[in-house]
Amino acid sequence: MTVRRRLLDWSLTGLLILVPALVLRASLQRGTPSAFDAAILRITAPLEAGVSWLAEGVGGLWSRYVALVDVESENRELREDNERLRKELAEMSRRAYDVAALEELAVLKKHTPTDTIGARVIGAPLSPQFRVLRLRLDRGARDVQPDMAVIAGTGPVGKIDKVYGDYADVMLVSDARSKIEVVVKRTGARGWLIGLGRPDSYACTISALELAPQSELRAKAGDELITSGVGSVFPPGLVVGTIEKLEGDDGMFQKVQVRPAVDVSRVRAVIVLLANPPPPDPDAKSKKKSEPAFGVRAL
Amino acid sequence: MRTATLVLAAYVLCVIVGACWRLLPAAALRDAVPELGALTSAYLGLTARRHLAPAIGGSVTIGYLVDVISGAPAGLAALVLGFTCLITRSAQQRILVRGAAMTIGFSAFVALVAGVVGLAVRAAVGIPVAAIAVELQHLALVTAATALIGPLVWRVFRRIDAAFARTHRERDAALEGIAP
Repeated sequence: MTVRRRLLDWSLTGLLILVPALVLRASLQRGTPSAFDAAILRITAPLEAGVSWLAEGVGGLWSRYVALVDVESENRELREDNERLRKELAEMSRRAYDVAALEELAVLKKHTPTDTIGARVIGAPLSPQFRVLRLRLDRGARDVQPDMAVIAGTGPVGKIDKVYGDYADVMLVSDARSKIEVVVKRTGARGWLIGLGRPDSYACTISALELAPQSELRAKAGDELITSGVGSVFPPGLVVGTIEKLEGDDGMFQKVQVRPAVDVSRVRAVIVLLANPPPPDPDAKSKKKSEPAFGVRAL
Repeated sequence: MRTATLVLAAYVLCVIVGACWRLLPAAALRDAVPELGALTSAYLGLTARRHLAPAIGGSVTIGYLVDVISGAPAGLAALVLGFTCLITRSAQQRILVRGAAMTIGFSAFVALVAGVVGLAVRAAVGIPVAAIAVELQHLALVTAATALIGPLVWRVFRRIDAAFARTHRERDAALEGIAP
């Protein structure tokens, strides 16, 4: 190689070393890729994307199909965990259900002005049409007696019918033997709420509901019925149900169909009234508070 | 043409390694990316025939492509690989890279040279460098990875070189790793 060619080669080499140095300097000053860099990147990107896709595909194939040696044992462990957690969840749900029932009971007891005892519903035989025929409570002869009133959060459920050892059956309001004196809240008309004992509904009717001469005093669909508190074990003012439909009259009495307020299929806990509530004191408002003895006020 | 083919092959290898290496399971392995650019520039420098400029040009080009792929400032790897090519060129007359052990050793040397030159260039132009311990650890990992992958890469390059051989003697020399 001649000196001239060698000189040219070394000059070119020096230039080729100088160019990236200048490019680096410019790149550092600019801080962002140049248009040329972007163009090169755009040209080379498809190849890089294709290779990446292929590599990820092969990697995925490996991780999804080949590297699954321990998955079976892991799967078994997870199944066992899952089963255990399901059991725990079922147990917790049952406890939550019990707690909710007890809360209902506590609220109900607080608002009932007589001696009561709480009871949990432990059974509910069904009719062939899946209607609850009676409720079985976890209270026996030591706690309750037949004919005691049974109420739930929204109103009367029925009365204690039979007591067997540690359990008691409740005769529902919708039972054909049930009879509760009620008042139509809007009109004040009285009657006896009697269960129809239907296997396919909880419908009741009111016997001897007087047909008022004025039409506005007659019972209408949607009228609310409350217990009268007279001749019954139920305290007055409990919402028994609503008139669902009118079924005409016989010239003297109205015939109506009543839907009970309590959905017995959802009752989880009830209150049993151990005694009739005391009658309200008619002079309660006019009575004066007694003065404290010797000026001492109880804390 | 030979240099361009080598550069193209090296670029494809860089892309493949870039795509595959990040799928490795251990983080330490993922950090140890082999210096394919340095291997290429070393090969170009070591096998440069009479003229040095094409080898430097190829090294600078693959360096630039590495910069573009890796997102480094344009010119950084190009400059480093240009210097690496110069250094390996100076070793051309003194060593003969033949056999697996020699190739592994030379690959490690090349990675070390490229790493040190890279550090020097970064320090010179004001690109921040990590703590010296971290840099040394990274350099060691990269050197090991480059040494391991070196024989394979060089085999590919020698095959390409053999394809460009004009005579049987050149072809055999290329396959055996002897500079023509």
